[in-house]
Amino acid sequence: MTDEINITIDGQKVRTTSDKVLVQAASDAGIYIPYLCYHPGMKPYGACRMCVVEVEGVPGTPASCTLPIRDGMVVHTNANPATEVRGTILDLLLSEHPHGCLTCHRVDLCGPQDICLRHVDVTDRCVTCPKNERCELKDTTRFHTQGLNSPLNYQYRELQVETKDPFYDRDYNLCIVCARCVRACDELRGDVALTLTERAGQVLVGTSMGESLLEAGCEFCGACIDVCPVGALVESDFKWETPVRVEKSVCQECPVGCEMTYEVDKRGRVIRAIPELNAPANRGQACFKGKFGFKQVNNDTQRTKTPLVRREQVLEDASWDDAIAIVAERFASYKGAQFGMLVSPRATNEEMYLAQKFARTVMNSNNIDSPSNTRPGVLDGLHQVLGYPAATGSVWDLKEAACVLVVSANVTEEQNVLALPIKQAVRAGTQQLIVIDSREVELTRFATLWLRPYPGTDLALLGGMLKVIWDEGLLDEAALGQYLGDTTALAASLVSFTLDTVSAETGVHRDQIVDAARRFATAGPASIVYALDNVSTEAQTVASRAIAYLAVATGNLGKPGAGVYPLRPGANDQGAWDMGMEPRYLPGYHPVDDLDARRRFEEAWGSELPVLPGLNAKAMLEAARAGALKALFVVGDHAAYHDGTLGDLSDALESLDFLVVSDVFLSPLSEHADVVLPASTWLEKRGTYTSLERRVQPLKQVFQAGSTTASPDYHTIARIASHMGAAGFDNHAPEAVLAEAAGLIPAYAGISYQRLLDEAVSTPRPSTDNPMPTQVMYSEQVSMGLQWPCPASDAPGMPTLYGERLANAANTVRPPLEWMGLERDEDAEFPFLLAHGRVLAQPTHSLEVAKGGRLNRIEREECFLISPGDAQRHGLEEGQAARMVDKAGRKAWLGTVRLWENAHIGVANLTTLFGELAVQVDGSEHPDPMNHVPRLEVVPVRIEHV
Amino acid sequence: MTYAFQHLQREATQRWQDLHAQTWVRIGTGLMGDAAGARETVAAMRYDVRHAGLSATVSEVGTWGLCYAEPLVDIVTPGGPRVLYANVGSDRVSELVATHVTTGQPKVEWALASVESDVPGLPRVENLPMMRYQVRIALRNAGHIDPVELLQYVARGGYEGLDKALSDMTGQDVLQEVKDAGLRGRGGAAFSTGTKWGFLAGNPAPQKYMLCNCEEGDPGAFNDKTVLESDPFSLIEGCTIAGYATGASNGVVFVRHGHDAPIQRVRSAIRAAYAAGLLGANILGTDFSFDMEVSLVGESYVAGEETALMEAIEGKRSMPRFRPPFPAAVGVWGKPSNINNIKTLAYVPEIIRQGAEWFTGIGTEKSAGTAIACLSGHITYAGLVEVPFGVTMRQIVEEMGGGTPDGKAIKLVQTGGPLGGMLPSDALDIVLDFDEMAKAGAMFGSGGLIVADETTSVVDLTRNLIAFDQMESCGKCFPCRLGMGHLLEVMERICTGEGRPGDLELMEHVGKDMRAGSLCGHGQLGFNPVASALKAFGDEFRAQMKGHGPIRITPFVGPRSSRRGAQLEEETPTSQVKGDFVAHIQPVARP
Repeated sequence: MTDEINITIDGQKVRTTSDKVLVQAASDAGIYIPYLCYHPGMKPYGACRMCVVEVEGVPGTPASCTLPIRDGMVVHTNANPATEVRGTILDLLLSEHPHGCLTCHRVDLCGPQDICLRHVDVTDRCVTCPKNERCELKDTTRFHTQGLNSPLNYQYRELQVETKDPFYDRDYNLCIVCARCVRACDELRGDVALTLTERAGQVLVGTSMGESLLEAGCEFCGACIDVCPVGALVESDFKWETPVRVEKSVCQECPVGCEMTYEVDKRGRVIRAIPELNAPANRGQACFKGKFGFKQVNNDTQRTKTPLVRREQVLEDASWDDAIAIVAERFASYKGAQFGMLVSPRATNEEMYLAQKFARTVMNSNNIDSPSNTRPGVLDGLHQVLGYPAATGSVWDLKEAACVLVVSANVTEEQNVLALPIKQAVRAGTQQLIVIDSREVELTRFATLWLRPYPGTDLALLGGMLKVIWDEGLLDEAALGQYLGDTTALAASLVSFTLDTVSAETGVHRDQIVDAARRFATAGPASIVYALDNVSTEAQTVASRAIAYLAVATGNLGKPGAGVYPLRPGANDQGAWDMGMEPRYLPGYHPVDDLDARRRFEEAWGSELPVLPGLNAKAMLEAARAGALKALFVVGDHAAYHDGTLGDLSDALESLDFLVVSDVFLSPLSEHADVVLPASTWLEKRGTYTSLERRVQPLKQVFQAGSTTASPDYHTIARIASHMGAAGFDNHAPEAVLAEAAGLIPAYAGISYQRLLDEAVSTPRPSTDNPMPTQVMYSEQVSMGLQWPCPASDAPGMPTLYGERLANAANTVRPPLEWMGLERDEDAEFPFLLAHGRVLAQPTHSLEVAKGGRLNRIEREECFLISPGDAQRHGLEEGQAARMVDKAGRKAWLGTVRLWENAHIGVANLTTLFGELAVQVDGSEHPDPMNHVPRLEVVPVRIEHV
Repeated sequence: MTYAFQHLQREATQRWQDLHAQTWVRIGTGLMGDAAGARETVAAMRYDVRHAGLSATVSEVGTWGLCYAEPLVDIVTPGGPRVLYANVGSDRVSELVATHVTTGQPKVEWALASVESDVPGLPRVENLPMMRYQVRIALRNAGHIDPVELLQYVARGGYEGLDKALSDMTGQDVLQEVKDAGLRGRGGAAFSTGTKWGFLAGNPAPQKYMLCNCEEGDPGAFNDKTVLESDPFSLIEGCTIAGYATGASNGVVFVRHGHDAPIQRVRSAIRAAYAAGLLGANILGTDFSFDMEVSLVGESYVAGEETALMEAIEGKRSMPRFRPPFPAAVGVWGKPSNINNIKTLAYVPEIIRQGAEWFTGIGTEKSAGTAIACLSGHITYAGLVEVPFGVTMRQIVEEMGGGTPDGKAIKLVQTGGPLGGMLPSDALDIVLDFDEMAKAGAMFGSGGLIVADETTSVVDLTRNLIAFDQMESCGKCFPCRLGMGHLLEVMERICTGEGRPGDLELMEHVGKDMRAGSLCGHGQLGFNPVASALKAFGDEFRAQMKGHGPIRITPFVGPRSSRRGAQLEEETPTSQVKGDFVAHIQPVARP
């Protein structure tokens, strides 16, 4: 379809492709046609009519955003009546858009902050608009130099500015109804929280059903703000600041690897994050965490400013030299297994590499892990069956999938952007979505089929599906032979997964299991996205193995849209494993007990390596409690310790002899520390992250906080190592460290920091003088990253793994599945498991958003859904007022008991609103609010009468 | 001829004879009949007939188009004459039952006309002023048959066209026949129907849609609704033939929510057609299959625009899409589609049955066949007339419509709906013809003719039209959304005597760029009312601008463009609110 064609625009010959619309073709050739409703990230809409042009042989003035181009087309962009139409449209727009300054003859004499004494209403001035000097309408009007003494009457809409929702301010007096926000919400995000209201001259943007954003299903992703050409939609924080500088880096909130442009104001603060339009992983999208969750970096008051050393029970300021000396001296006496190191999953690859090198060579300990690495089983199964513990494809390949199976993963909240290709494809009708989850996650709303197993029995369900595929001959025999060879052991192990047993174990009807298996096996390219949130740690390895076998057995490997995507919480969890920051593996996944590999690393590092495998994060804390682990070095990011998966930390930390914490803020963790070292945030350092799609992307230094002596962790670690007399830490610049790592990890062999910068893709744009959407302005020079394995400096990355064979093809022994029944321990005190969910629109529940100040609170009646049998057993009745208390004592809910025949015995359901989270983050005083997103955990609860 | 159709026709003939074997009372209960109280007439008739112990069939039928005479009762006894009675309220039913229905003797003093037979003292129906020039093709069955009874439709020649197409012609032949007949779209744009079908026929996709547009939101137009409620099978047959000619697989009848009688009748007619094997798989035992359904939309004028209509069918906000891609390539649900007006399709069965040559013999050279005009406003005989092209506007308005009811002079005729134009009285000799009318700046459009007498203020009428157009803009494209508001604002201030120098030029300036820049026809034609009013009545405007003072504002219900407008209407008593746009149904004085 995409033919190379030649067209002529304003006398200039342009060579382009036929799949573009005219406005894009012109823009790519450096010719600017004004537009307001068009946005390169979205489908053309054809509403603003600013981009009208004249085409020879075509009657009238067609809009160039909706005009397909043909070979030999001759276009005039600046001829009458096209320019006249544009002029009239601007006149019309300004007749309802405040423009006092725009049409003022003195505007060029005015500074941005001047107070004007003329008779223009304050509301009509550009200088009182948060988007002043960032406004596409203003730029376009200036660009269009036609006289601005419009004879049309001006009418201000006099609407109240909506400031009560979290994160956003909406001033519809400024709206030009280009519907970019509505389209972004619908077309890109699949949320449809925004819509057009009324009609004719009264048409405006509103929320669906006229409710608050929270109720309308808003996810607060900020996509609408990013595309708004005027000041109608703005971030409420730093609303009035203008950027003086921008820099691109990678978001640190989750492993999707969204590239963002960060705006920095003249006071050196990071004020806005704008997702990069042409970035490979996020394509102009972000989520509430990445878009709004960076403000802690500016938090000067709570940042650690100098190193702190505990003297006589009190943390006192110290110089860097003193602190390093103390740390080095004390560490020297804790070498070996009594030393442990925990590094934040938000550390860069280089820091992780240095950290594990430090632990192994200097401290001679394999006790190195990331606190988020609490469920290694999610990847171990993939490692065993396929070869690489990593996703097999790319994020946006999911859009090509004809079927996606999501297993116990709260994708929209934890790896938000990954859900977009799924939601888009489901809404386009090209994809079936099967969700396996006991909880109600947002994707269940999009699901073709939602299997709701008893919490923790996902493995049985996956095995059951595999057995159906095996029994019904839905296998891809060719793929099985190609990838696995002998499958007798696997087939034999499936015997225990009969439909009857699986159905009894999971509580899912056998027809549903068969239906899911058939859909998955026959739809076409199918992918599996999984986090195994509800699965016990012991069963995770087997469950991920089952997932790997499901993909292989149905031939879903080695092509776009087919593959498996394990989901982890941390931004650089993939990098952590790749870099060997794992107690079991050296860099490049060499087991620490592999003698050959160890020799090689000993040679490269010039030091002896510990022989015994190390302790993982949980085990380290256990060892600390038992007194076996005496010194702990915690690098970065207290937040990772807050989600409760590591249990109560304080007693473990108290038992330590020596605790060093390198962190951005003082935290509950540093209260136990003997030495606290101030750390830089991810926006203050260079380095690389490896995303869940194995994409290595460069971080750049966006800004430098002025009030602190903080140093990047790679620098801190290297200083301690050098002070302890270790060699090999002198050249610790990220570039050099990555080069050293690349020399030892074959998959990274072709990757260097410079290459990542050099291979940025540059999009041709018309002159920067031309008005353009912010995202377009920022989208020049976009790093595409490199997806490992990338064996040579001239090799491209590999978007899809296992095109022909598995990475461990030589390994013929692959563990089969094993039945692991769930032990249901009857806890008399907390007899229910709470499987709560997050769905916004619930027609049966009336809810009210109470707005007070900057906080939104949702008021509604909670319903505890339980099965009638359970109700009888526990003396509860339909409609009874009750209280639900969780075992950890973290939360209690008040509500009404409702009986539901479909509820599993022993499971209580409750629907939490997405908005509850938005409320919490907005109300939080904490410097890093975004990390406090409550997880949708399955927890034991008790329901009692009130 | 297919065997299935032979059988069906035999059955139909029998049914037709049975109906005439006893007294048959037909009462028009369309939109207009309803408005005049025909429901009560029907109920009373059924009650009285039953209580008198008579064996008579009482049918609800469509309309003759003689709105001024509604409720219209049509009585025929076996062997007796067929007589139409005008303005039969329920209070007159007992008398009619006692006389004509029981005795077979027409009650001449209440009668309007006789049909197909002479009755002393009564005119033949075709000699009524309003019927004078009529040639009925699309309305061939209106008033004659029970619209939802398939056999009655077949008895009057229905489905012969489809049967002929399926047994003797290929799809290509049908397409050629329609092309040769010179049939042009009756929705307003007057595009060649055969050519349009050709676009769809040329698309090889397996699933294609034939959409039938009965949005009909024009004030003063009610002909599509009439076809649907008087003879839905003609549409269904026409649509099926169109499906055969273009290879379409599905038909969708798109009706505005609230047109109750048309919706109910077309739905039951579709059910009946399915039951008789005239829709669904293997129609009339052939290989051809075609499905039809009805889709409703909320009130929105722009939903009648073909791409907005597709959005509405998909359940979205009805706002036009840009073109290209044209519907024949990407239409409803992304499938190739073709949108036809209801009337256009209603001609098709007769064209196939009687041949292209027969059709081109009617009307003018470029505009073949007939046109349905809806007369309303200041006119004696309001209603619906089907006349061959070539009749003059004066003949329609003055002779058929009987001029103004109180003898005042006609000032103008507003044509083509609210986006159309105005024909001043001295231009009424214009021949009814798509191209001639377009040349005169008064498109025929969907056929609404609103007559205004000499007391009408053109300025106010224009403002009222603009108010409608402003309110009905969908709000998508900027020139229309904003431009219409400013046109209305200017018109409002002219009406209140606050017009400013340069206002007329301002309107022209905005109007010109709306025409050039708007996305769909609504904005492109939005300035038409002003343009044509200025052309014919420029002096009246200029006089109004020169300190003529405020004129009476005819209020208009809808969202306001300006605070001033809202204020103006607040000052006007709400009793006037229905405005000039309701079809003028005025009973004639009782004899």
